[in-house]
Amino acid sequence: MNKGFLVLENGAFFEGEWLGGKGRAGEVVFNTSHTGYEEMATDPSYFSQIIVAAAPMQGNYGVDAAVWESSKIHIHGFIALEIQNTARENTWIKTLQKHEVPILHRVDTRKLVLKLRSAGTPWGALVQAESAEEAQVLAAKLIAKNKEVELDWAYLVSRKAVEYRDGDNSSGPRIAILDFGCKENIIRETVKRASKVGIFPSRTSSREIREFEPHGVILANGPGDPKEVKVAVGTIKELLGWKPIFGICMGHQLLSLALGGDTYKLRFGHRGTNHPVDDKLVGQIYMTSQNHGYAVDAKSLPPDVEVTHINLYDNTVAGIQCKAKKCFSVQYHPENCPGPREATILFDYFFKSLT
Amino acid sequence: MGKDPSIKKVLILGSGPIVIGQACEFDYSGTQACKALMKEGLEVILVNSNPATIMTDPEIATRVYIEPLKLPFIEKIIEKERPDSLIPTLGGQTALNISLQLHKAGILDKYNVRMLGTSSEIIERAEDREKFKKILGEVGARAPKSYMVRAFEEGVAKSSDLGFPIILRPNYTLGGSGGGIAYSLEEFQAMLLYGLNESPTSEVLIEQSILGWKEFELEVMRDKTGTFVIVCSIENLDPCGIHTGDSITVAPQQTLTDKQYQDMRDEARKIVEKIGIETGGANVQFAVHPETGERVVIEMNPRVSRSSALASKATGFPIAKIAALVAIGYRLDEIKNDITKSTPCSYEPALDYVVTKIPRFAFEKFIGAKDVLNTQMKSVGEVMAIGRTFKESFMKAIHSLERGGTGLREVKYSDQKIAYPNGERIFYLAQAFREGKTLQEVYDLSHIDFWFLEQIYDLVQMEDQIRTSDLTETLLRSAKRNGFSDVQIANLRGTEETSVRLLRKKLNVRPSFLQVDTCAGEFQSETPYFYSTYWSVPETRPSSNIVAVIGSGPNRIGQGIEFDYGCVRGVRAFQKEGFRVAMINSNPETVSTDYDTSNELYFEPLTHEYVLEVLDRIQPKGFCPQWGGQTSIGLSEGLIKEGYKILGSSMDTIDLAEDRGRFTQICRELQLRVPLSKMATTLESAYGVANEIGYPVLCRPNYVIGGLRMEVVESDEDLEGYFKRNAAFISEKSPIQIDEFLDSALEVDVDLVCGKNWSIVGGVVEHIEAAGVHSGDSMGVIPPQRLRDETCEKIESVSKALAEKMNVLGHINLQLAVKDDEIYVLEANPRSSRSVPFVAKATAIPIVDLAVKAMLGNAPDKVYNWKSAKKVSVKGVVFPFNKFPEADSILGPEMKSTGETMGRGDDYAEALQKAFVASNVRLPMSGEVFLSLRDKDKKPMLKMAKELIQMGYTLSATRGTAQFLGDHDLPCVIVRKVYEGRPHTVDRIRTGKVSFVINTTSGRKAILDSFDIRRSCIDYSIPCVTESDTAEALLIAIRKARTEKFSVEAL
Repeated sequence: MNKGFLVLENGAFFEGEWLGGKGRAGEVVFNTSHTGYEEMATDPSYFSQIIVAAAPMQGNYGVDAAVWESSKIHIHGFIALEIQNTARENTWIKTLQKHEVPILHRVDTRKLVLKLRSAGTPWGALVQAESAEEAQVLAAKLIAKNKEVELDWAYLVSRKAVEYRDGDNSSGPRIAILDFGCKENIIRETVKRASKVGIFPSRTSSREIREFEPHGVILANGPGDPKEVKVAVGTIKELLGWKPIFGICMGHQLLSLALGGDTYKLRFGHRGTNHPVDDKLVGQIYMTSQNHGYAVDAKSLPPDVEVTHINLYDNTVAGIQCKAKKCFSVQYHPENCPGPREATILFDYFFKSLT
Repeated sequence: MGKDPSIKKVLILGSGPIVIGQACEFDYSGTQACKALMKEGLEVILVNSNPATIMTDPEIATRVYIEPLKLPFIEKIIEKERPDSLIPTLGGQTALNISLQLHKAGILDKYNVRMLGTSSEIIERAEDREKFKKILGEVGARAPKSYMVRAFEEGVAKSSDLGFPIILRPNYTLGGSGGGIAYSLEEFQAMLLYGLNESPTSEVLIEQSILGWKEFELEVMRDKTGTFVIVCSIENLDPCGIHTGDSITVAPQQTLTDKQYQDMRDEARKIVEKIGIETGGANVQFAVHPETGERVVIEMNPRVSRSSALASKATGFPIAKIAALVAIGYRLDEIKNDITKSTPCSYEPALDYVVTKIPRFAFEKFIGAKDVLNTQMKSVGEVMAIGRTFKESFMKAIHSLERGGTGLREVKYSDQKIAYPNGERIFYLAQAFREGKTLQEVYDLSHIDFWFLEQIYDLVQMEDQIRTSDLTETLLRSAKRNGFSDVQIANLRGTEETSVRLLRKKLNVRPSFLQVDTCAGEFQSETPYFYSTYWSVPETRPSSNIVAVIGSGPNRIGQGIEFDYGCVRGVRAFQKEGFRVAMINSNPETVSTDYDTSNELYFEPLTHEYVLEVLDRIQPKGFCPQWGGQTSIGLSEGLIKEGYKILGSSMDTIDLAEDRGRFTQICRELQLRVPLSKMATTLESAYGVANEIGYPVLCRPNYVIGGLRMEVVESDEDLEGYFKRNAAFISEKSPIQIDEFLDSALEVDVDLVCGKNWSIVGGVVEHIEAAGVHSGDSMGVIPPQRLRDETCEKIESVSKALAEKMNVLGHINLQLAVKDDEIYVLEANPRSSRSVPFVAKATAIPIVDLAVKAMLGNAPDKVYNWKSAKKVSVKGVVFPFNKFPEADSILGPEMKSTGETMGRGDDYAEALQKAFVASNVRLPMSGEVFLSLRDKDKKPMLKMAKELIQMGYTLSATRGTAQFLGDHDLPCVIVRKVYEGRPHTVDRIRTGKVSFVINTTSGRKAILDSFDIRRSCIDYSIPCVTESDTAEALLIAIRKARTEKFSVEAL
């Protein structure tokens, strides 16, 4: 058995069994969803994060490239209590190994989750080592190095060139998606309803978007601190009131900033598929898929912006609307994958507003 | 929004006696719901005929009616109480069916009672298979291809269209009763006939086989604003083909991708909406093709179901309570999560552990019944275990079965035992891997998902490691994380449990206790609901002023809900005395494993190792084994040796009751008679013993619960047969006990409580059947109807004297027999008994509370006299023979009943009538009575035969009985015995010519000969009594029923 360690920034460590990959640092976050490990790992919003699966049994159902939410694995590590590890051909472990993602299992994940819950989500590193001391030294280096990378994470994961796709609905609207780390299912849901879809890099100017002549703009999800995202807030400001805008996750945070609001870091974020949201736009409470570390401060919002969605777990802002400027946004993931699908109704809501 | 202010008085219906398919999980749901509604300040009227339940305790509802769950009785209660609403979804299929009947009979309209949470249309849409299929089509879901068949010929014609195997599901039956899988036309024809008859509407659904598909269940909840949550997903380890109640199940589901799971979730939501379920819980069952992923909906229950209890325990989401609250108008987001105390109930629980449920079967109780599982449920109980991984939880569940703690024990392998589902299949799966079978080979035989097989394969690999490697700390920890018990490790290494335990202590390989918190650790939670695991760091958590109550484990025949009643009352009584209480139990169906019942709940196997670890952690002031039946009593000695204090009767008292020699000695000292009794190990010595005592004698292997393998033996020939049948259980080391059999003696149960210098008789239950029928199977009455007053007083005084002599502290149950006014002591159990809840409810004496006072050395709060009860109470019994087509319904010393009812009346007749009706015995008002009597009953039954004729019945009988009746001028039709050619007795019963049957038999051969008579009665739901005393009681009840006069009264 190979020993491996998760070492946190403050030196605290958790021992487990190393299943492969290369030592790496990232923000250590936990997710309570029971299914969807493959969707999560390929979701660009998890860029530079080490995921701790609170659900103990992972990898059970193997892998399927059809469910990938982007073209690569973005996580910097995967930790679970037990990962399916037998002689089967297509396993989650083998997939992660192929992409050199560090994997640690047989870790006391319950204790780790409780720690993250109470002390916040720190930096940490996954390393293979014989002893905790050795691990601490290796981890410190990795963490320091990781801190030097560009802070505009959205830019790091975003497309660098515009991509156009034909929609399935020839009489439907044209939609511009601003890609801050866009999940594939946002594109799939859009393609279903649109005639033409343009997916634009995160630092696109408003002029380029206007030139595409969209009927509406979707601001996609993405990783990191919204305040570190360059160009986008300016672009969004210039688009406000021009065409309807629908923001998702990072898109929601950037829209809020553009409207004059403020964001802050949550202690341990919301990551899971069971978060209840009171959606006042459609008049329904439903379960949502969530993955975010930052939130919009309700008090910071200007008077013409109303809070239309509330996270019922902690009453934080889960969505806003500004009728005057024809835009609304949600903190969670109406495109799900993984997670419950009730909120896909918001795509319908958005497309209806375009006609 | 909040609750609807127009709802003030709510009627709740329970589920009646425990039967296979509908057990104490509905006591759990009903109790929870009642408590929640009472807290809301509503008046709650509860009706249930089952006295063993907690819900029928007077303090659970505003008024409790122990009355039959039948239309006329419920109507009378409605008339008297005038409730404004009825919640029909909490008492299983029974309550749902009666609610429908109440609606159809116009009773709900007449008294302005509205159904909450559902309506008759909704119930029908979900329950009627054709309507349901149509709805599935409308939401884009699929049902297996099927036809609803109403006639035999029609069914045969349609069968060719489906191809074999074909699944049969009779409409509107409990637990799939009358259903099954037919592999050939011949089999199909027989099953169709049976099914058509079992269905109250004579309809059978015949269905395309989905054998081998993966099976899932979703437990869902909805409020009136449409907020929809999945409380729990459940995956069956056993693929389709076995009733889900008989399947090993795991929560949450383990092998579906997120996409597959969300597809299923969406479908469940659409179905629930389309059916129109406004509020409450429901359960939807799915099958998924293992290769194509194709999905079909198997069925849906528009109510709180068996799985709801499991789901509630598995997640900490109290489904029944929330269902009750949303039914009276609350939204899910307005209700607070009990466990976290900070988040709302509009959420889906996230689990950071795995839950395994394993059913417990009782095939050994029903001679002839085959251990073959199909779509008809056969298990009598279940266990649940929680672990961090599947392996840990699965193995803990196996230990919880209380079959010796040896885990995946070795068996003699055969392919058949894997290919054909049975109650022991998991052991054969493990054995297959031990014998070198590959995963693929085992998959091909079983169609159990690879993932599960891999887990079992790993466990077998671990066995090898434990057997052959050094038991290092790493290996020991790994073994414990895989759920291996100390006993199992000791067996593998050829050492003792204690030495494994000592090694664990030395190496600090100890469990930690993690919390079930509904949210996988995301939020702080307050509720102390724990499970043990070796995947975390142990921490001690001594609780101050705490006592431990040990539960009774999985329900089995002979040890069921009656014991849980004692546990729950006991917990409350200790709390009233100022203690905190830790409950330890493994049964998910019970009220005792509700996190709301005790101060700390430990969901653990009831074996020495696991219970001891809990005690080590909490350091209790003592443990109480008196309510957990033989399970907890059996654990006492070991726990005392580890230094824990037993509360109540000492180990010496327990030992005294179990040691035949010592016990007989004490009885002699008190000049009490004990039936003669001797041991024998060989047939030769047994002949000697039996002839010395004199036939008939009672034979049994030395250590038995519920009278297992106990038989009345009438002759040398019978004795030889008994030895042959039980050869495997008789040896030099385990002799059989041969007792004097007190033929025709009157039996009584006495439950009493003894303190330091006081004792109180809770009641004397007079059995209706004579000695020879197990006390759990006989009907009983309080106060006694046939005992003379002075005999009854004598019974009380000798009981008290005996208890005192035994130094009892707390409960004791005595079984006595009275023959010719002489009192014999048959058995003494220094613990709570099956009869305690019945007695407590019949006499209104809080026996359990008094027992706690006794254990604590306190005096009783006041004087109690059981004779001051104004009502007569009769205990009725319910048998599961319709689930075991090969089993005989004759009663004997071996217990076979699953549940009990209580009839309360102003007189014996009324109480009897209600007890029969509540036990689902039809009281035939006219028609033909078929008699088949053993010689010794013929003369005594003459009087009854005359009465039957006077009451307008006609008589029929086989030659011997008919001749005897004819000789006494009683007209009687002669019917052929089966071997005399057709048309014979059984044909006559099957063609509906007989209204009821009185069939008394003894002697092995006569019993075998008359088997078909009893069996056909069971198959055609015709009352068949096998004891003359029962026949007399039945007649009294019929006479009363003919008056059509009865009253209903709350406790």
